[in-house]
Amino acid sequence: MKRVWLHTLVIVLGLAITVLIAAAQRSNTATYDGNRQVKLQGPVTRIDWVNPRAFFFVDVKDANGTVMNWAVDFGNPLELEREGWKKSSLHIGDVVTVDGSPARSESREAFAKSVVLTSSGKRLFGPPTAKPAAAVSLPTPRWPDNQVRFGPSPGKKGYWGASSSRVLVDDKGGKIPMNEDGLLLNISDADRVAPFQPWAKALYLNRQRNLLKDDPLGRCLPQGGPRQFQMPNGFQFIEQRELGRILILLGGGDRNWRVIYTDGRPAVPAAEAVLTYYGTSTGRWDKDTLVVDSAGYSERFWMANGGLPHTEALHLIERFSRPNYDTLKYEVTVDDPRTYTRPWTATWTVQWVPDKEIEEYFCEDNAEHTFVR
Amino acid sequence: MLKRVWLLGCVVACLGFIMPMTAQEGHPLTGTWGGDWGPNPTTRNHLTVVLNWDGKNVTGFINPGPDSITLASVYLDVASWTVRLEAEAKDAAGKPVHITAEGKLEDISSYHRKIIGSWVQGTTRGDFRLTRD
Repeated sequence: MKRVWLHTLVIVLGLAITVLIAAAQRSNTATYDGNRQVKLQGPVTRIDWVNPRAFFFVDVKDANGTVMNWAVDFGNPLELEREGWKKSSLHIGDVVTVDGSPARSESREAFAKSVVLTSSGKRLFGPPTAKPAAAVSLPTPRWPDNQVRFGPSPGKKGYWGASSSRVLVDDKGGKIPMNEDGLLLNISDADRVAPFQPWAKALYLNRQRNLLKDDPLGRCLPQGGPRQFQMPNGFQFIEQRELGRILILLGGGDRNWRVIYTDGRPAVPAAEAVLTYYGTSTGRWDKDTLVVDSAGYSERFWMANGGLPHTEALHLIERFSRPNYDTLKYEVTVDDPRTYTRPWTATWTVQWVPDKEIEEYFCEDNAEHTFVR
Repeated sequence: MLKRVWLLGCVVACLGFIMPMTAQEGHPLTGTWGGDWGPNPTTRNHLTVVLNWDGKNVTGFINPGPDSITLASVYLDVASWTVRLEAEAKDAAGKPVHITAEGKLEDISSYHRKIIGSWVQGTTRGDFRLTRD
């Protein structure tokens, strides 16, 4: 009988942990209410400097003198580092004033828009400042046979970091107002996002109206398709020329990687492919551009922020080029005749992060972010 | 023996919880749906419906196997997320019976979305409930 209870306990704990994991890495839009403001002041009690989201915790005293501990989400550590933050910028015991957006739920969580050290008035964190003009980039690095390299020059380090766009939009649609999670500011712009079939548009609008709360990424599932090149944690090319393949190590996935075969093998017929998050990819060179043909995608993920649907018929043609040392140009043609009325193309660039490596990332690390405080 | 049954139950329960994590995010009808239909709450008939979106039409069949029934038409109204299924079946005596089912797709973002509505099979009227596996 005792063992039966033990098994029950194990199951209950297992389910509880799974629930926490399942709720990790929700989008800002789904988690926080940007239309409301909250001001918090108090001493920092804890700092969680982890990917994909950094949190600190503050003891806040209410009007009755009751102390409540709040979790403050202040963004992605890699992006914070690019803005000049360091892990040591904030210390336990520092008294801070936080302006932010509260969680949509009743939990005591907020997304920080600014953090100020109360004692000195020093702003630790705030809206992004204008970036200094970039220095003139070095020329595109090349292999001895003059083929473009997508990794660093020999003896150097680096990876591909911030993308110029966090959303996937048909180039023909022009600039469409939406936030970084892909939430349209004006829902009537949906037709400009992509040439949807009616069912796909209806599903896309449904996801938009639900504030993207059902995003599989929020359940820590991989960011397949073009989305892998729009994640804040970046990616890295490992060109294994002797093996006829290129590995892409994805900083925004749970130690995920993708293989692009460049050994001349034929593309796997979609009907024969084992369906996966990253598909089956073969690459060839068109002068200085790597052209990658991918199919065999499962339907278990959203291929972009914002909830763009796809089916197993998804076929992507990706074109990678490196016009200079610091810039990767990415162009993807989405061909899924079961979802879209015609093939369509989106383009963006990704910036090189010199002298660094992608960092460890486990989506589940932010499961704690979901606790009810 | 009891212990083994209990352990098996634990494994099944855990799998049941894990499986829904791999949802299908494409066309909301595509997939295998399980449930039942019947004229009242106590008289129910097992129902498995397999649907597939080919880019132009949704095709499928009822109760896969040697006695499966091919769906003659499947219509999805995306404005209201209502579904209409039609098929020609045979009754126990081998006589043709027309099936019409009309239901509403609910929780379309859920791993286990549902179609709930009315089921007419020949002269028998009832309701049906399908949940995507």
